Amino acid sequence: MSTADGGRFGRLQNLDEGTRRVGAGSAVTIVATVAAFLLFPAATIYPLLGFLAVVAYGWWRYQEATAKVVMALMTASTVVILGLITLYLLWQSVPVLRQMGIGLLTHVGATMWSPNDGVFSLVPMMWGTFLTTIIAMCVAGPLGIAGALFTSEMAPRWAREIIKPAIEVLAGIPSIVYGFLGFVIVNDYMMRELSLPIYGSLFGAGVVIGLMALPTIVSVAEDALAAVPDEMKDGSVALGATSWQTITAVTLPSAFSGVSAAIILGVGRALGETMAVTVMLAHTQTLPDPLYDVFGPNGQETLTSLIASQYGIASGDHMSALFAAGVVLFITVLTLSIGSQLVEARMREKLGGGA
Amino acid sequence: MSDSSTTETAEDEQPTTTTTTAGETVEEVQDEWIEYDFDGPAKFSATDLNVWYGDDHALHDITIDIPENSVTALIGPSGCGKSTFLRCLNRMNDRIKAARVEGSVELDGEEIYQEGVDLVELRKRVGQVFQSPNPFPKSIRDNIAYGPRKHGDINTGLLARLLGGDDREREEELVERCLRGAALWEEVSDRLDDNALGLSGGQQQRLCIARALAVDPEVILMDEPASALDPIATSKIEDLVEDLAEEYTVVIVTHNMQQAARISDQTAVFLTGGHLVEYGDTDQIFENPQSQRVEDYITGKFG
Amino acid sequence: MNTDASRNDLVKRGNSTLGVAAVLLAAGALLGALLGALALFEAFAVTDAVAGLSIARWFGVLLAGLGVALLGVGATSRAGLVRSEPDRTAGPVAGVAFSLVGLVIGGLLASQTLGFGTLWPIGALIVGAVALLLTVYPRGDLGATLPSGLLSLFTGIVVATGVIAPGWSWSPIPGSFTLPGDIAVPLLAIVVGFLVAWMAARAYGGFGTQGKQASAYLLVSASAAGMLALLVVLVSYIVVRGWAPMTEGVKWGLFWANWTYFYVPPIHRYVVIDGPVLWFHWPFVMNGHALLNDVNGIMPAIVGTVWLVLGAIVFAVPLGVGAAVFLTEYAGQSRFTQLVEVSTNGLWSTPSIVYGLFGWAFLVPRLGNGFSILSGQLVLGFMLLPLVIITSREALTSVPNAYRDASAALGVGKWETIKSVVLPAAMPGVTTGIILGIGRIAGETAPILLVAAGSPFPSDAPNVLTSFQLSATPPFVTNDALLQATSALPYQLYAVITAGVNKNAGLAWGTALVLLLVVLSFYAIGIASRIYFRKRLEA
Ligand SMILES: Nc1ncnc2c1ncn2[C@@H]1O[C@H](COP(=O)(O)OP(=O)(O)OP(=O)(O)O)[C@@H](O)[C@H]1O
Ligand SMILES: [Mg+2]
Repeated sequence: MSTADGGRFGRLQNLDEGTRRVGAGSAVTIVATVAAFLLFPAATIYPLLGFLAVVAYGWWRYQEATAKVVMALMTASTVVILGLITLYLLWQSVPVLRQMGIGLLTHVGATMWSPNDGVFSLVPMMWGTFLTTIIAMCVAGPLGIAGALFTSEMAPRWAREIIKPAIEVLAGIPSIVYGFLGFVIVNDYMMRELSLPIYGSLFGAGVVIGLMALPTIVSVAEDALAAVPDEMKDGSVALGATSWQTITAVTLPSAFSGVSAAIILGVGRALGETMAVTVMLAHTQTLPDPLYDVFGPNGQETLTSLIASQYGIASGDHMSALFAAGVVLFITVLTLSIGSQLVEARMREKLGGGA
Repeated sequence: MSDSSTTETAEDEQPTTTTTTAGETVEEVQDEWIEYDFDGPAKFSATDLNVWYGDDHALHDITIDIPENSVTALIGPSGCGKSTFLRCLNRMNDRIKAARVEGSVELDGEEIYQEGVDLVELRKRVGQVFQSPNPFPKSIRDNIAYGPRKHGDINTGLLARLLGGDDREREEELVERCLRGAALWEEVSDRLDDNALGLSGGQQQRLCIARALAVDPEVILMDEPASALDPIATSKIEDLVEDLAEEYTVVIVTHNMQQAARISDQTAVFLTGGHLVEYGDTDQIFENPQSQRVEDYITGKFG
Repeated sequence: MNTDASRNDLVKRGNSTLGVAAVLLAAGALLGALLGALALFEAFAVTDAVAGLSIARWFGVLLAGLGVALLGVGATSRAGLVRSEPDRTAGPVAGVAFSLVGLVIGGLLASQTLGFGTLWPIGALIVGAVALLLTVYPRGDLGATLPSGLLSLFTGIVVATGVIAPGWSWSPIPGSFTLPGDIAVPLLAIVVGFLVAWMAARAYGGFGTQGKQASAYLLVSASAAGMLALLVVLVSYIVVRGWAPMTEGVKWGLFWANWTYFYVPPIHRYVVIDGPVLWFHWPFVMNGHALLNDVNGIMPAIVGTVWLVLGAIVFAVPLGVGAAVFLTEYAGQSRFTQLVEVSTNGLWSTPSIVYGLFGWAFLVPRLGNGFSILSGQLVLGFMLLPLVIITSREALTSVPNAYRDASAALGVGKWETIKSVVLPAAMPGVTTGIILGIGRIAGETAPILLVAAGSPFPSDAPNVLTSFQLSATPPFVTNDALLQATSALPYQLYAVITAGVNKNAGLAWGTALVLLLVVLSFYAIGIASRIYFRKRLEA
């Protein structure tokens, strides 16, 4: 099993000499490398070479210790990357915050987004993201759970062995392909049949995002359902409950955390989905009128499509506002992710780890 | 999966098998076969019961009558098909995709492997307790009330209250009666709303018995119910089984000879390959087995 | 034998009438829904006449008929004319569903037909409440059939009498969409068909628990089947549309040609070896974009994707596997591992466009100050990292501890054990995870857009391999090609869409198909190998 000492940097004196030497040397050089890359990118090569030298020497003298140190640094890189992302997004969005203040997230008026006039309000885009996500989850939530239930509890074995991998493969279809289909089929159809005033609609984009999130939700929820032990289900069936009663009363509640994690994952996908909305929406940075009008010409922009469609023409405060949109997205998704981890931890606690 | 089969009356004849790979064994088994007569009605009578898992022939021509309101123990070495036989009695084998059952099992004279059998009804009448305790991750109360609620015998909740039929008091009574029946009431009466997974293994197993009692079955099948438990919990379960035999028909699989000898009225010995070798009064089986192989097994010479 | 009078029979008899009715009605309703879907997808026009009546009206007739039949079944059961074992109530789920339907119908009637104006919520609430009561209060058989039968009858009459017909239209929000009759009729057929099928299946086994199971299974299976069918249709559609442009101009031939020749001194002769030579030309994947091309192709995009993905792998795989080994083998439970866990999951769920922004701000200014392959590789590497860590950890934890113990018991050190026992055992899982990760990043568009994308229709591919140069000044190794912008398959598709699909329809469908093939084959290989290794582990 694993020992505890590797993870605890506080107890340096417990470490052996090799670890301490290599650890100190590589830590210093790698920090210098990162610092150099941040401040003087051209000079990065020197500390990097130093780091490589320390590692090479360490590998020769104390292989295990070096491997451990290098792997610990690799592990730390996730934290560093997440930290850098957070830092850079926040830092880049400072200018627009300074200009718009909290109005960036609250300002509602006749003009809400006008780079020429220096008006940047993310309200329409947040609303657009909200609406498309809701529509997407209305499509993907019920269908996804139905698909997972069908695959895991109802389909005969042979069908399950085909459907399960097929769904996983379908989950890999790139979003731009969905966007393409949405653009040429869905937009076209809705334009023709529903006489939309403009090519594109939040509704169409939401439906396409929902379809896109569907295989992921099915696959993750199915894993959760399949993980419910057969003994538990047998216990219910042996009491004379029907399979459906067993599913609703035992299987689904036991798999609750996994199924809800699947849904949250789907919401995260829908929120962050970029390409499909970028090609499908008409990019109008206004609020729909009325607010729930998901077919009309107004409000056809989401946080993601805003960034993807305007980064090329943006500079200064405008670009900074795009970063602010990124921050909003990032924080929402991180909150969801941490929330779902908490739900899962709570469930594990409740189930006593046993069953 | 239901292979309805010939429902001929169980004749007082020895089972005849011709086609099997282990021909010798079968010959021997038939020679050793002992007829067992008992007074009173048979709860179950199985005739020429065969089970396959894919190509694996797990039970060979089992013919056996199980008397009402008594404890019948099934013993035999590991892998000889005891659990498989037990699962035939409430058709839990239907849930195993690879399993194929042929032959006849009658419950109170009614064939359970005929077309149109209501499995829900069958399993209400034939309850089962599993080898390892498998309570639902719900409160103790919800575990006990699970069956009756699902069968619509007890209605609780908002909708029931609106419709004017909240059976909360009946549920309360039922929970207490079943927990007392399973000798668990004293231990848990003050924490009925706690999660059942917080109970000890022995308590969980008694909860599972209580849960099965709540459906008011006629038969309770138990598959090594005490195998995961310590001696004290085991003896509690044993006492319980003896009590249950007054009202219920109990069929119990066990690996523990002493246990079988202590609690059962009659014993069926299965031997490797899925053959029923000897069946009779427990005392007779343990004191004076007819077959050399059964004697060897019981005295621990093989198995 | 069974003396207990309250026992039900072991064998169900007398429910066959209801069973047949349930099957027929559910099948009819699902057929209606299916036809509705076909009409919606324009497989046929609802205005066409069949036997003197337009298809739209036939939909109405079908729904009305189903409604009458359903009401009849419910009434027969309630009156005790057939044996049934209804539950006390049709249940809360049906109640909620039909009260929602009631809310919608009531709201529409009040606002559109009766002109309640802003008071329409009153109408909605009244009808919704009535529907709820009708579903939940009566016995299970009536509760299931009454609301659904009435709904079906009502919509059937509305459609059959032509109140809602192909010529009809409705635009609830000015300046927004207009719902025409030839869409509304199939939509109604789908929604009502599903609801009727759901409730009709309740009759199976006599409106009891069995019926509830049958109806739930029907609904779930139908949804799942519809979903699967839709996804399969999507993929097939791309294949059908993209096949011709993708394979346009493919030429190949088998020739007898010279392989090699050499001089053999002793005999003062040249030995010439000839052999069969396969010549193959596939313009769509071998050409770039140029004026004089017979077929414009996407070779630069393919090469760009290959370099981007390769770079991401080189960056992320060692990092991710190392981190996973550290986390599973060395690190215990500590603040640090918790932080890493949260970070990994955070990185995993971070939207791709955010990675793009980060790359734009962090990498682009530092790496050549322009869009470049290198930046793209790193950004995709950042995205790949959490996936590699998560899947590698899974693979490592599934290596049985017995392996580690056995090795340790032989006196082998921890690091040696990891190298020689644990990692090899986990390799299949790690590889599978990496393959799946590659599939994912190969299709990513958004980050490439912000850090690496160059000309949308390039004629040449980046020449990374031959551009490495050594120098005496700081970076010591340079590669100009790595610092140039590139195209990539997903970006190419995006570029075609923004340039106007109509002009380049063939290019667009062909690119979509190639992208799909590339990405899905990575997924297929990854998943197939995972299944293979799992099977081998179980065996
Ligand atoms: N689900 C199954 N699929 C395939 N084969 C099975 C299955 N269950 C049991 N078998 C096989 O059937 C035979 C009898 O198994 P069974 O579980 O009935 O034995 P048992 O007497 O209960 O053994 P134990 O005392 O170990 O519980 C064994 O050979 C076993 O491998
Ligand atoms: Mg067993």
